[in-house]
Amino acid sequence: MGRSTPSPLRDRALSWMEAGDLSHLFTEQVLKEDWKYTPMDLLRQRWDYVPFEYGQPFGVAGDSLSDPRESLDERNPAIQSFPEPLSPWEALLAGAAHQRHFMLADGEPIGVALRNPGAFAAQLFTAIVPESAVGEVWFSLEGEGLSLVRWHLHVQRGGRLRFYYPSPRDSGESYRYLILTAYVEEDATIETYELHAATAWMRSEMRIQLGGQRASAHLHGATQVTEGAFADTAIRVEHRAPHTESNQLFKSLVEAGGRRAFQGRIFVSRAAQKTNAYQSHKALLTAPSAVSYSRPQLEIFADDVRCTHGVTTGFLQGDMLFYLQARGIPEEKARSMLHRAFLAEVVEKVPHAALRTWAEEYFTLPKV
Amino acid sequence: MLTIRDLHASVERRPILKGLNLTVNLGEVHAIMGPNGAGKSTLAAILTGRDGYEVTQGEILYEGRNLLDMSPEERSHAGIFLAFQYPVEIPGVSMVQFLRAALNAHRAAKGLEPLDTAELMALLREKAALLKLDASFLTRAVNEGFSGGERKRAEIFQMAVLNPKLVVMDETDSGLDIDALRIVADAVNTLRSPERSFIIITHYHRILQYIQPDVVHILMDGRIVRSGGADLALELEKSGYESLLNPA
Repeated sequence: MGRSTPSPLRDRALSWMEAGDLSHLFTEQVLKEDWKYTPMDLLRQRWDYVPFEYGQPFGVAGDSLSDPRESLDERNPAIQSFPEPLSPWEALLAGAAHQRHFMLADGEPIGVALRNPGAFAAQLFTAIVPESAVGEVWFSLEGEGLSLVRWHLHVQRGGRLRFYYPSPRDSGESYRYLILTAYVEEDATIETYELHAATAWMRSEMRIQLGGQRASAHLHGATQVTEGAFADTAIRVEHRAPHTESNQLFKSLVEAGGRRAFQGRIFVSRAAQKTNAYQSHKALLTAPSAVSYSRPQLEIFADDVRCTHGVTTGFLQGDMLFYLQARGIPEEKARSMLHRAFLAEVVEKVPHAALRTWAEEYFTLPKV
Repeated sequence: MLTIRDLHASVERRPILKGLNLTVNLGEVHAIMGPNGAGKSTLAAILTGRDGYEVTQGEILYEGRNLLDMSPEERSHAGIFLAFQYPVEIPGVSMVQFLRAALNAHRAAKGLEPLDTAELMALLREKAALLKLDASFLTRAVNEGFSGGERKRAEIFQMAVLNPKLVVMDETDSGLDIDALRIVADAVNTLRSPERSFIIITHYHRILQYIQPDVVHILMDGRIVRSGGADLALELEKSGYESLLNPA
């Protein structure tokens, strides 16, 4: 993480860590625009640091996953070229103790399953997909406490990476902050799939740079925000080269008392002509006390591009509900079918059949 | 089986039905024709229990029960089926999932065990074959991306699967070209039975060329103003609503 260069932010963050005082993390963020809807008060308590425990890789892909080998060292240019930390959170991860680096092998998915024992745990992973290789990362996070995880993914020319982030349901108080950054080279592709029932507090931050021509990013998320939970997604997709393509498809089911924030930014640099970018966040509120903030943002500096976005927030359409009832389906069952069906549009896009089945069960979609 | 007496109903306090009377016996096919705004779709909505319609006077008895006390799903369980004028898309729910939930709700209401997958699929395939439908639409989401004709055929298919006693067809013919209309009408004729009654609500005579009604009613301004045999529809087609009611 560019450790040779001085970074005041990093030094400060590390000193907080050493002093066991993370309170600055919650105050330094407040002014930032993309934290506008993020309730930091939930995190404001004393956290002791504890390392993550590593568990069995996520169930549905279990047997097919390789144990990740740390096959990169810090001299690798991909690591040395890490951007400077943008926030104190990222700066915290600068300590080598919290870093693991993987070079993915073609056609060999890896699985990383973390468990937070119930305090503050932090970890950074780097994964590089070599040229023309197909890589797959399965990441899952369990346990209570405050978890900070960053993945930096680098997809080299012609490569493809699928990143799966399914979250098993957690009954306890867990606060999860994932930062996913990616650099995608020429003709390379990244796909991400987040499938969650929101915990007490969760934030996913994704910053994707499409750095080479014809690079593409396809980001998917299905989130069920249950009573009292908070889920936050902040995305920035940067188109930095011509003929790049990105899609963001996110759906959120927000139940009574749940809160959802979604901020999706598409940035198109002057060089990125013929960009094709799409972003969609649809939130279905199941009760008047459910809240969803959606903020699509486009920043476009090239003149020959196609960028579209769609945001909807609303309640179930009475027409749909009546249609099911008129066929004899009781109202409550009809509602629950329609709620799960709402998320199905994202679930159907999951390319891994067993994960799709898992997600259908997870969101309790009616079985065929 | 169905008796409507002096039915008055309003939508947003605006009176639409103003004293409608209708009796439908088991096995009969009734056509209700009328111009736009006569109250045809309001009648369909009230028969099936849609929200937003207020019955201000009168009663509806269905097999001796007070229909207006029943929820939409109870009416469905009791054998009433509405073929929608505008069937909605239900993305994310396949026709199989949808009909499984519907059939099993009907079975639960009768105290029967749910169908297993093999039984369900056998039933759905049998009904698709009966109506000469390609079974591929079973795995598609309900009505999603269906053409107007496909949607109406899917309605008739659902009717065949749920095996209702009283079918209310709300302008099923609207928006259909002649081929689609014929397919829908053939399907209805296939399902016609002494154990099933139909109320065919329509603006045009066209569908009645293919489905022979027992009784034709003319609904205007919230009331049935004339009833007759199948030839009433023909007469109406020739002369139009106004001149039929106000002969020179």
